Amino acid sequence: MTTKKKIFKIALIVIGVGLLIGGGVGYYMFNKPARDVQNTETDFSYQASEIVNEYLSDPKKANDKYLDEAGNSKVLEISGTVAEISEDFNNQKVILLKAEGDKAGVSCTFTAETNASTQNIQIGDQTTIKGVIRSGASFDADLDMYENVIIEKSDIVTTK
Amino acid sequence: MKKTIFTTLATVAIILTSFTASAQKLVSSNTHFKFFSSTPAENIEANNYKAVGTIETGTGEIVFSVPMQSFEFEKALMQEHFNSKKFLDTKTNPKSKLIGKITNLNQINFGKDGSYPADIVGDLTLNGVTNPVKEKATITIKGGKVALSSKLNVTLNDYKIAFSSGKPSTNIAKTVEVTVHAAY
Repeated sequence: MTTKKKIFKIALIVIGVGLLIGGGVGYYMFNKPARDVQNTETDFSYQASEIVNEYLSDPKKANDKYLDEAGNSKVLEISGTVAEISEDFNNQKVILLKAEGDKAGVSCTFTAETNASTQNIQIGDQTTIKGVIRSGASFDADLDMYENVIIEKSDIVTTK
Repeated sequence: MKKTIFTTLATVAIILTSFTASAQKLVSSNTHFKFFSSTPAENIEANNYKAVGTIETGTGEIVFSVPMQSFEFEKALMQEHFNSKKFLDTKTNPKSKLIGKITNLNQINFGKDGSYPADIVGDLTLNGVTNPVKEKATITIKGGKVALSSKLNVTLNDYKIAFSSGKPSTNIAKTVEVTVHAAY
């Protein structure tokens, strides 16, 4: 009788703890924060021209290599010449890295936290920017123009 | 005589400049696409600032190319659902596209400041599925700068985006609202 009660009690505790852990994991997953791109290890480092040309020569293969099904795509470090500096509707700085004579460049969007890193950047500077790739470069026949590689959650890579 | 020649030349010059001014391709890379879904369970919002658009002022042709992985959600899990094969399959279809034409182009004066309602007829390609769309937009011209804003309703089922069961099926609206802003 007492053993039965004991077993019942233990089982109840185990189930209770299981539910708590399960619920906790579920709650954490539901509320998990967005990926911290800057603290994610860099997957590839390129010159702006290299990734642009890779996309222009075989976009399907490049998408396969860089894009992730859940949107957690590859983290890249792109080096190149600053061709344009602008700001988007969300007050985020946008730096275009594009080599002279290239058909497209790499458009890098910063964040509220990293905007300040662009303060001393000027057109013509050589710099390296780390961010997550969102889409590749291509010629769009409807727009009748080349589209840039898109990198977001960017920050300037400081030489250590 | 000299005066007449001068006047004629001046008139031709003015006509030529106004013609080139009224028939040009405007490009916008400063855009904002907002996706908004409302159900009794919750409101879901996602923002995208990386679309590129063009307006051909001579023909009224409008194009937007939207990089789908640039939609940013408050919750990471929602963003992953959105990108997944079950929803928008953004790895296979990294961009969605709107190709349209302004049908009341004669009522829009790109050379004069003002706010003009525009009727747009075209095709929207989302998740690899193309459907005809008919939307209203507002074109604003201020100091020679052109801006466009619009609100469209997208029925997810039309684009083979459907959740048959589980939380997403109850928490995502069948028709979502997409707000567009573009500065050219």
